[in-house]
Amino acid sequence: MKTRRRVVAAALVAMLMVTTVAGCSSKGSSGSATGEGSAEPYRIGAIVSLSGSYAGLGTPEQKAIEMEMKRINDAGGINGRQVEVIFEDDATDPAKAQAAVARLLEQENVIAVIGATGTSQTMALRDDIDRAGVPQVSMAGGSVITAEFDKNVFQTPWPNRIVVPFTLKALKDRGLVNVAVISDTGGYGKDGHDLILKDADTAGVKIVADETFNPGDTDMTAQLTKIKAASPDVVLMWNAGKEAAIVAKNIKQLGMSVPLVGSPGNGRREFIEGAGDAAEGFRFAAGKILVPEAYGEGTPAFEVAQKFIADYSFAYGVAPDIFAGHAFDAFLVVTDALKRVEGEATPASLRDAIEATDGLVGVGGTFAYSPEDHNGLTEEELVFYRVDGATWVLDK
Amino acid sequence: MSSSELLQFLISGLQNGAVYALVGLGFTLVYASTGIINFAQGEFFMLGGMLAVAGVRMGLPLPLSILAAVLLSAGVGVAMERFALRPRRDSGALVLIIITIGASMVLKSLARHIFGPNEMALPAFTPGPPVLLLGAAIDRQVLWIWGLTIVAVVGLTLLYTKTKLGRAMRASSLSHDAARLMGIDTAGVVMISFGLAAALGALGGAAVAPLTQTAFDVGARAGLKGFAAAILGGLGNPIAAVVGGLVLGVLESLSVAFISSTYKDAISLVLLLAVLFLRPQGLLGKSGREKV
Amino acid sequence: MRSRLAGTLVPAVGVILVLAMPFMTTDRYLFKVLTFVGLNLIVVAGLALLFGYAGQISLGHAAFFGIGAYTAGYLTGEAAVPWLVATLVAALLAALVGFVLSLPMLRLKGHYLAMATLGFSEIMTVLFIEARGITGGNDGLRGIPYPSLGSFKIDTPSGVYLLVWITAIVVLVLAANLVRTRPGRALRALHGAELGAQACGIDTGRLRVQVFALSAGLAGLAGALYASAVGFISPTTFSLEFSVLLVAMVVLGGTGSVTGPVVACVLLTLLPYVDALVPGLPREVVSFLQDWEADIAGIVMILVLLFAPGGVAGLLRRSPRVGEAE
Repeated sequence: MKTRRRVVAAALVAMLMVTTVAGCSSKGSSGSATGEGSAEPYRIGAIVSLSGSYAGLGTPEQKAIEMEMKRINDAGGINGRQVEVIFEDDATDPAKAQAAVARLLEQENVIAVIGATGTSQTMALRDDIDRAGVPQVSMAGGSVITAEFDKNVFQTPWPNRIVVPFTLKALKDRGLVNVAVISDTGGYGKDGHDLILKDADTAGVKIVADETFNPGDTDMTAQLTKIKAASPDVVLMWNAGKEAAIVAKNIKQLGMSVPLVGSPGNGRREFIEGAGDAAEGFRFAAGKILVPEAYGEGTPAFEVAQKFIADYSFAYGVAPDIFAGHAFDAFLVVTDALKRVEGEATPASLRDAIEATDGLVGVGGTFAYSPEDHNGLTEEELVFYRVDGATWVLDK
Repeated sequence: MSSSELLQFLISGLQNGAVYALVGLGFTLVYASTGIINFAQGEFFMLGGMLAVAGVRMGLPLPLSILAAVLLSAGVGVAMERFALRPRRDSGALVLIIITIGASMVLKSLARHIFGPNEMALPAFTPGPPVLLLGAAIDRQVLWIWGLTIVAVVGLTLLYTKTKLGRAMRASSLSHDAARLMGIDTAGVVMISFGLAAALGALGGAAVAPLTQTAFDVGARAGLKGFAAAILGGLGNPIAAVVGGLVLGVLESLSVAFISSTYKDAISLVLLLAVLFLRPQGLLGKSGREKV
Repeated sequence: MRSRLAGTLVPAVGVILVLAMPFMTTDRYLFKVLTFVGLNLIVVAGLALLFGYAGQISLGHAAFFGIGAYTAGYLTGEAAVPWLVATLVAALLAALVGFVLSLPMLRLKGHYLAMATLGFSEIMTVLFIEARGITGGNDGLRGIPYPSLGSFKIDTPSGVYLLVWITAIVVLVLAANLVRTRPGRALRALHGAELGAQACGIDTGRLRVQVFALSAGLAGLAGALYASAVGFISPTTFSLEFSVLLVAMVVLGGTGSVTGPVVACVLLTLLPYVDALVPGLPREVVSFLQDWEADIAGIVMILVLLFAPGGVAGLLRRSPRVGEAE
């Protein structure tokens, strides 16, 4: 017993020594960090999913931001100051995203947060963002992000709120009225699912089956067998993760000839590679970045998108997908606002500048935020795509 | 529900069930020779798929890639046993189990560093339209999965009953000390068990990758299902692991058919717990052979 | 003589240091990180009792943590129940679930027991995702209020830190003392040899149920504190990985001891937050550590057990005990 007590004691002391020393010294360092004056770079936090179900989305996002950061810094920075982006990986986990934002806000003193990659992860940051009053620009497409309005939170993708009605209308136009829905239970999938059910009547389509799967599931033949039994005109899938390719393959595997339509979350090269033949004929609505000619050649949006595609392809050897585009836009929104801030940039003044964004041409559309609308995109930015010959073409 | 739909659900269940069985066999092999649960088993499933994809991307023909992936994974399994577990084989089972957990963390994370975070696709072994059976469709890859599972089971049974090595394995699973006294190289038996378990997991991972794609993080889920299969059937018996896997797969698929796709994992787990509570030794296990 | 002095002096100094932290630093992030350590300590104390003294392993304690977190989160956030009441209800509910679960589990041993707890944990994960009305589903539960007693609100990181650590210290002291009491000795007998313990007239079944419920309750308590400390909870936190990490802390710490697991818990929890402890660390080092965190943790786990099978406790004792686990 004596030894045990001594050991308890020794451990406690050792532990406390560590924490105390660390605590004291870290206090010292935070003092010095703010003391260097205006030569300090602008510090922006970015929370992306570099692992987990959305790893394939977060990775191009990080690449796009790194590329743009380098370009701006090489050109002398903003207002004579460099821009430093501090990346955090949330592992597609809302709880990790929340821990990451605490770190960015309290350890790194960032003036803005870009992120997160996913809808659930984006929403997880909200309490901390509000408490700190730091602006957040999300790269996720859930409607809830800007529909549950927050004065600090902005969004660059086309939210489900505009994509779902657009998609349903496109189905109706093509005579596909008996719709079977399959969605994942993640934040984005559920957001889309709920909107599909809500908007179906207005759009004049009928939901004949409604199945779900969990992020990480590897076989959906059972759900699709049920869908097959309902004989729909079309299967409408709503998710953004890697499971999309499995759904496409399973449909083929079951010998179903029904067309598959998806969400902007499926505008990824990995989906085409993963689904292989099964991806051919797959259709989805998204912004014009995948085929910038849709903007009309010579328009400002076309020029911005063309340049981004060229820069990204040069830097990384592959064309950007829509997620790289969302990240480009998020970084553009923040840096553009930084240029317009008068006087010293604080989180509050930066937030006001972001809200004042009007007519900013990004690759996903032209952004015009207002005190009521923190998404600033409309149905006008959307087109319908089809996968043809392992690439995206416009589906007229 | 028409009979062809029911058949389709069964096929879907047996497809997943066969994969669970291959992973579950690995758990059972290691358990039989060491009395521990190898938490890294799921990572060999991941390695099998990822290494096969890597081989194809390096330009190797598909069969060679798969063979290389299976052999390399077996090598990793043997190395893990030799360097991380054998030095501590006289410690308690839990110490060894935690070492395997550590190894699984390292394998998964290294795979992310080496192969990247994206999902990857492996070409189908024999491409072509699905085979039709009484109105239900069976993908050709599913036939491969079933075939490989049967080969694995038959191979293991032959190994156990017809070879000296197999008898040594069975002897040391009953009692290490007695086996050692009889001149059996128990250390060798354990090493071979780990190699075989890793190879079976890798085979499962490579066989299913054309259907589901693969990624650095597929191991945990595969491990969980395989573990459940092995427990459901009864630990330590290869046939039981296969039965456990197939039952689990079919249960999940029928839950989707008759109850709800959302609750399929929960339903199969509730049934699993019920089986455990009513028959702690598993469906086919004999009681009184507790190791821990 | 020296050891007795150290035995009383050192924990006292330790407790004073823990309590004095808020006067020594104002680093909010550090307090958040240390709060996580304190929360894990509460769970690990229960698991150490369960494993070290009753020889039971649970792969489901993240689920009890989750039950506590969702109960407290829902009660304080949606139902406006006073914080203290909600926290106690959360802990009791987790204990009750643990109690009910442990009854059929009495028949199980070894890996089957582990499988049962694992299965339970996975079922709870599905419920956390699907019971959207209470849990918010995959999106999680937001806006959980800070701890408060009447009008007194604990809404600073240092306040939450103190609350969690005082709870953790109380739990640890109780756990360490339980070891020395009659039930504690009975528990150890249970670990050593169940038949022997039964022969000595110990109701082993009842003890196993009690210690399981206690450890579940402690996990629930920690979960409740976590919910109000962090303000946001979502299903992924209460995953199998967390359960496994908790068990790893106990085994790495060394069996039959509370101290070892405490040290292992502190080290493993702090690993991803090195930058909170070592300020001024270059950015490249921090991101390298974050990127390779899982590799490092895994290798450390393997190495510690390879070279010190008795875990941290064994290292501290310098003479590894024989017959660990089993």
